Amino acid sequence: MGGIERIESADVRLVAGTKGLNKRKLIWAGLGVLAVVFFGTLPFYYDVHNGQYGVFFFNVFVYAIVAQGWNLIGGYTGQISLGQNAFFGIGAYTMALLWFNDVTKTGYYFDPVLMIASAVAPAIVAVLVGLPLLSRLRGDYFAFGTLGMGMIVTVLFINGGYFTGGAEGRMLVSKMPPDVVFNLRTHYWVAFLVAVLVTLVVYFLTSSRVGLALKAIREDEVAAASHGVNVLKYKVIAFAVGASTAGVAGSIYGYYLLQVTPSNVLTQNWLFYPILMVVLGGTGTILGPWVGAFLIYLLSWYGDQYFTGYSPILSGVVIILVMLFLPSGIMGLGQKVPDWGKRVRGSG
Amino acid sequence: MGSLVQVLTNGILLGSMYGIAAIGLSLIFGTMRIIFIAQGTMIVLFAYLVYWSFQKAGIDPYLSLLTVVPLAFVLGLGLFYLLFRKAAALEDRNVSLLLAVGLMYLIDNLILKAWSATPRGLNISYSSAMIVVWGLRVSWLRLALLGLALASAFVVYAFLKKTRVGTAVRAASEDMEATTIQGINSVWVSAISFAIGIALAGVAGVGMATVYSFDYQFGFVFAIKALVALALGGIGNVFGALAGGLLLGIIENLAAYYVGIAWIEIASYGVFMLVLIFLPQGLFGRRALVKKV
Amino acid sequence: MANQLLEVKELSVAYGDVQALWDVSLEVEEGSIVALVGANGAGKTTLLKSISGLLHPITGHILFEGEDLVHLNTKHRVDKGIVMVPEGRRLFQSLTVLENLRLGAYLPKARADYDDSLERVFALFPVLKDRMNGKAGLMSGGEQQMLAIGRAVMARPRLVMIDEASLGLSPILTRTIFDLIVALNVQGTTVLLVEQNIHMALKICSKAYVMKTGHMVLSGTGGELLANDDVRKAYVGERGSRL
Repeated sequence: MGGIERIESADVRLVAGTKGLNKRKLIWAGLGVLAVVFFGTLPFYYDVHNGQYGVFFFNVFVYAIVAQGWNLIGGYTGQISLGQNAFFGIGAYTMALLWFNDVTKTGYYFDPVLMIASAVAPAIVAVLVGLPLLSRLRGDYFAFGTLGMGMIVTVLFINGGYFTGGAEGRMLVSKMPPDVVFNLRTHYWVAFLVAVLVTLVVYFLTSSRVGLALKAIREDEVAAASHGVNVLKYKVIAFAVGASTAGVAGSIYGYYLLQVTPSNVLTQNWLFYPILMVVLGGTGTILGPWVGAFLIYLLSWYGDQYFTGYSPILSGVVIILVMLFLPSGIMGLGQKVPDWGKRVRGSG
Repeated sequence: MGSLVQVLTNGILLGSMYGIAAIGLSLIFGTMRIIFIAQGTMIVLFAYLVYWSFQKAGIDPYLSLLTVVPLAFVLGLGLFYLLFRKAAALEDRNVSLLLAVGLMYLIDNLILKAWSATPRGLNISYSSAMIVVWGLRVSWLRLALLGLALASAFVVYAFLKKTRVGTAVRAASEDMEATTIQGINSVWVSAISFAIGIALAGVAGVGMATVYSFDYQFGFVFAIKALVALALGGIGNVFGALAGGLLLGIIENLAAYYVGIAWIEIASYGVFMLVLIFLPQGLFGRRALVKKV
Repeated sequence: MANQLLEVKELSVAYGDVQALWDVSLEVEEGSIVALVGANGAGKTTLLKSISGLLHPITGHILFEGEDLVHLNTKHRVDKGIVMVPEGRRLFQSLTVLENLRLGAYLPKARADYDDSLERVFALFPVLKDRMNGKAGLMSGGEQQMLAIGRAVMARPRLVMIDEASLGLSPILTRTIFDLIVALNVQGTTVLLVEQNIHMALKICSKAYVMKTGHMVLSGTGGELLANDDVRKAYVGERGSRL
């Protein structure tokens, strides 16, 4: 068979990259611990109550919690939920209504029972709404459905009459225990603690078998199902966990505002900003939501100070610019280690 | 009985606005899979332009169709090439969604700065003109809305069915890559559908200016209403989207009549959820765009 | 060397960071049928997509009649006469048969010959004429494959690249489709064929290439490759038994 030409084939070099991974992981973990220690002890040497950065970081933490929750369903699982503001609002209202009516009779400020209830209530709603939406459809219709749910929840709270306080919502100032002084230090710590906890939960969830299933669903749902992944179960779990984190954040924010109204806990901001933060930081990365929450809140913080009244316009411009020039996010930039693809490309 | 007919008539007339917006959304979503949440904001923007040219120059709203619609079309082309061209090619749907959100924030607040938060509404010489048919009182302006919607639907339908580019738009909404393989410039096809979608927002803006009272925050809710209409009617069918809008108008007016104005929203979003769950291809959809799991 | 219509030279292609083709070269002689075979994931479809401009190479050249196409987009390549029939047919299901064919002749040059092309397609595939105003999605698998090829013919191609024409078709229909491909070739159209039905493909082609994990590993005439033990063991044995 003289006619057959055997074509010289290049040897395929596999760049595994596992070697440096543990070291890199260790560095990240170290940096993480340092950051936790720094922010955890900040109130000891900085007056977070009177200093302006206390409020700043409190807000960043609250946003980071919501963003981390959205990251689980939107980032890791690839199901765009547009109902995060509803869960945030349900959490805030759960806390506010239970506290307002003294259901637990404890009278605590930052009552752990109320905060747990604020996490459970949105999760229940998420399961009830998520089961029919996620079992029948995928993709954009899930986004539409969660958007519709958010609108319904908002209208229900506005129309709730005496139960929810209608458009005025619920004032909670009078419910403050008389011996407790409003000090942002508490809010700062609670928000920080919860944000770190949520991050750890998302981290361990996504590094476990659950995370593998979620990523499989994101990449190829049909293939995931054919490998025995219970697609519906994992989607609903991710949706419910994401909902309950938003709910806890809502309750913390309610404790800060001491007034829970539709216009401050159910607005579009609690819907779109967390998504923006995740995408800016890096979708489906554990640090992305933190980076995004910090940067976006920083921008709106200084936007409010220096461009008073023009801040929303600025937000619009920032969102557009980020999406045009950084669609894969900041963490996405870091992960494209340049020697990876290029060395392979040049070889052969 | 007479009042029920009146409720239904009003529902159809007001619903025709949702219909126009839904046709536009359908074109944009159909080809690019962009959830164009800023559609309502665009409509409000054009309503302000119509309002403004009436207040400043006395131009009749229906006459300003001649300027607003071409302007909207060009603006649509510009927005597409500036913002959505790259995003439409990305697999990541978050990007195009957030671009639309950013556009919405931007334009909403520019409107706020330019025209303040006071709700606006036009008062034209024939604003209150009525005709009475078989005991039904119908305002001319509302009747004109239905005319606008029907005309828009027919024009878009003819474009999609009878023109080469229209056929390419239908092809692209089914399979963008296969369309490219035919040598068709699919970017241009997307640009055209996007621009027509925005031009329809211009048409709806004229309607909104003449009948509604609107402010800078009206857009978001209106966009979601258009989305509800689209889900009701079904994607991939011009007259389906229009019918979805009319139906939504009827549902809202029935809810207002029988239950109370405060529950209009619950009714429309409730129907939205039910349709998404039980009838994902809509009432008149040619096909379900989303595959069942 | 004979008149080469298409020459692919040392083409490397990557999807993001994942490289799919390594220095792949291939030549297609004017008027011939060339087959490209290999296992799933060997990079055959990637190569076709690169030739039609849907993917852009990192390095390498694609020469068509001696002209380098690398910087042209799909539209211009179609205009030059390179047309692809994609895997899975990718018809516009909700459009009519005629609308599908019309889209095939979308570009001005092809449109000028629309009537002639239509006649040619209907002569090759009479069934399409009967189904002219029916929805493409309502036809049988064989008819859909005919429409997919017909749609490509409407573009007045010099080179038709057919990706997995026999996928999902019965043996009899496969034979029919292959006969039609030969007929098309006899009319003067050059054909580059990607096939999983290697036995059939090697029989009708004048030259064949074998790909493996992104590399071009063998080339020769169809007969030579059919007789080659490696090829037989690797591909023909398992797939050919279905014939």
